[in-house]
Amino acid sequence: MKTKKNIKLIIGIVVITAALLYLVISSTLSQSQYFMTVEELKSGQAELVGKNLRVSGVVLGDTISYDPKTLDLSFEVAQIPGDHKLIKAMGGMSVVLAQAAHDPNLPKMTVHYKGPRPDLLKDEAQAIMTGALDKNGVFQVSELLLKCPSKYEADLPDKPN
Amino acid sequence: MFYLGFLTSSFAMAASAVALVLVIVALIRKQTRLPGAAVLLTKLGFFTHSAALLTLMIMQVTQDYTNMHVVSVINPAMPWILKLTALWGGQTGSLFFWSWIVSLCAFLALSGKKPLLDNWSFLVVNLNQILFLGLSLVADNPFTRIWTLADGSLTTSLFAPGVGALVEKLNNGMGLNPLLRHPGMVIHPPLLYIGYALYLVPFALGISGLIRGVEGDQLLDQSRAWLLGAWVFLGAGIVLGSWWSYDVLGWGGYWAWDPVETASLLPWLSSTALLHSLLLERRQKIFQRFNLLLVLLSYLLVVFSIFVTRSGLVSSVHAFGESSIALPLLGFLLILLIGSTILLVWRWKALDREWKFGSAFSREALFLYTNIILIALVLICLWGLLYPMAKGALSGVEMTLHRGFYDRSTTPLFALLVVLMAVCPLVGWNAARLKQFGKKFWIPLSAGGLGLLAVFLSGVRQVWALGGVFIVILGLTTLIYLTALDAKAVGLKRFPNLWWNQRARYGAWLVHAGILLIALGVIGMGNLSASIEGTMLPGEKMPLRGYEIEFVSVNESYENPEYKTVKAETILYKDGKEIARLSPAQHIYPDRQQYITIPDARATLQGDVYTLLAGYDIDVPYITLRLSDNPLVNLMWIGGVFMTLGGALAVTLPGKRGDQDEETRLMEDTLETTSAAGL
Repeated sequence: MKTKKNIKLIIGIVVITAALLYLVISSTLSQSQYFMTVEELKSGQAELVGKNLRVSGVVLGDTISYDPKTLDLSFEVAQIPGDHKLIKAMGGMSVVLAQAAHDPNLPKMTVHYKGPRPDLLKDEAQAIMTGALDKNGVFQVSELLLKCPSKYEADLPDKPN
Repeated sequence: MFYLGFLTSSFAMAASAVALVLVIVALIRKQTRLPGAAVLLTKLGFFTHSAALLTLMIMQVTQDYTNMHVVSVINPAMPWILKLTALWGGQTGSLFFWSWIVSLCAFLALSGKKPLLDNWSFLVVNLNQILFLGLSLVADNPFTRIWTLADGSLTTSLFAPGVGALVEKLNNGMGLNPLLRHPGMVIHPPLLYIGYALYLVPFALGISGLIRGVEGDQLLDQSRAWLLGAWVFLGAGIVLGSWWSYDVLGWGGYWAWDPVETASLLPWLSSTALLHSLLLERRQKIFQRFNLLLVLLSYLLVVFSIFVTRSGLVSSVHAFGESSIALPLLGFLLILLIGSTILLVWRWKALDREWKFGSAFSREALFLYTNIILIALVLICLWGLLYPMAKGALSGVEMTLHRGFYDRSTTPLFALLVVLMAVCPLVGWNAARLKQFGKKFWIPLSAGGLGLLAVFLSGVRQVWALGGVFIVILGLTTLIYLTALDAKAVGLKRFPNLWWNQRARYGAWLVHAGILLIALGVIGMGNLSASIEGTMLPGEKMPLRGYEIEFVSVNESYENPEYKTVKAETILYKDGKEIARLSPAQHIYPDRQQYITIPDARATLQGDVYTLLAGYDIDVPYITLRLSDNPLVNLMWIGGVFMTLGGALAVTLPGKRGDQDEETRLMEDTLETTSAAGL
């Protein structure tokens, strides 16, 4: 009697664990996105076409073009490092962003997004873009995240006269 | 003002440190009583901490631009309420505010006739106070001033950074980020923080109980109100945050599985499990190990959540920037984690209790299933947060899990929870009552069926949505029907009395009703909503389902010196008849090169018709408009209110359970006899 109950219990636990593991593993595999920098993307362009990627870059304000009729939004982003330590060593994210936005030598990439222009899209903003490269080398963004509200690193305003 | 703030905050820190020494001495001397001086110092520390907080807020409102924190979150154009609440608008102020909330909890735990804390639990609370206030004052002191150096450059420091340096008063501050200028900002962070902090006291009591090896019963009586309170505040905070994000574009819908959001959900999930098994431990004296584990886990998850938000290691819209407090926070989290684990393992055997498990459909069994699911959800979310971090740390490949990970893996579990919630009130009754209810089961069943039919007729064919609507409506009608049955049994006159006496149960029902409503809202947003985007000239119309929206005009105004308001006038028609005028707007902040959209919606119980001004041109004129039909979305907010009220109702129940049980049993007896006779 007791063993019968135990067997039931064990079967129950095994079934539940298996179902959970299946859920977690399959979701992890299908929903993983690899963070890449613009540079990495540019260097491996050929084999990356069509793959689901997440790329982070700095928005170049002058290149933003937006057609309100068709909701076509495109802009260029420039390379920023993906390494937290490196960013820290360079003086923090806001410094890195400001430098990258004005350095003509950095790798750049054109980005296209369809939808209303996001509130935070402006020069020197960090764009975190989910999407895929198309054949023309344009990064087609399905999800656009811009940094950021509470992450506000204060610069001192100009000194009063 | 600087000196007042600096001195009071430093004094608070010193008071905690001295209290720590006193308690350690008492512990070494094996004194059982908490030293009175330590209590006094903690209270005194709380008052000076409050004075420092007040000073900072006065500096914000009076715009003291010699202070770096004030400069970064305040500017003259902000209304006074935002000037006050900008306290938690940046890393510096919010960390200080959080340390004050921890202080407040310590104060509350020590007030009252008999202090709740013994030496060990005091030690735990005190260490938390010292850590957070210490981090705030050492790493990011809110009273840091701006200085001009001898060479004319500006810098920040508490005291003169060099010879000839002078305090600099700027003319203006940068002001709060526009996205944070929302009523949500006023209440969402404090609710979350209070919720988080309330978990600390049960955690401390749990640790102390483990160390001293005391029986858990007393601990549970002491912790119940704290845990319930924490759960209510945290839940309310999460729902409010969700409403805020729904109300401001750019935060993406009502829930985005953003790491910070996910992290805040963790202690809520674990303590929801805890509240269920606490009930069982009361009645059946089982689950003691499990409960202690959950008490400890909940606060560990709180610290984890703070770590996720403040370490700068996770990329998230909510997270603060890179910060120097990541390492100390991580160290503290690890110490707490390792300490709790060692203590639990040490006492594991002693906590054993007989395990009685009735049928697979008993109330105990259902509670157990609920908790297994909740814990599974915690594990999934932890995996979702930790896997990318671990993968990054181990292989150097930076990766992230798309929100689809959470959608895919948690939806079946949430759905199961909803099913359990819907059938739960039917279980645990005696056979007679169940039979009697069984005859009437066609009422909720057909209500669910009607809901299903209505949704089906509106064109929905997804099995998830249809099944969801059916089960939720079934659950809701069951709750209403059971309440009505009770009312009928004892008579309407006596019912309020019964309701109040059994407010733990009716509170729980209210919470369940609230969560079922939230589930309806989620189904509405996830499966039933639709939207369209388009650019329109004046007089043009855009159709969506039975609705049509007409663009009338767009105009600019300057209602606030800081931003320009662009407002579109539109008319909403349903089946050709005008039903509302909606004016979605944008606030444009030229100095910040930033704008925010202010949506306008026609809100009814059935849902929102939601408009968003996505773009415009004043001269042509044209607008780009996003029109969404979001059925059932408002049930989410109503459900949130139910959840909070229900929880609050249960908190008011006195901690001592013995008398209550007697009362409940009496009432239940009355109920059963009268209903058996009456129906």
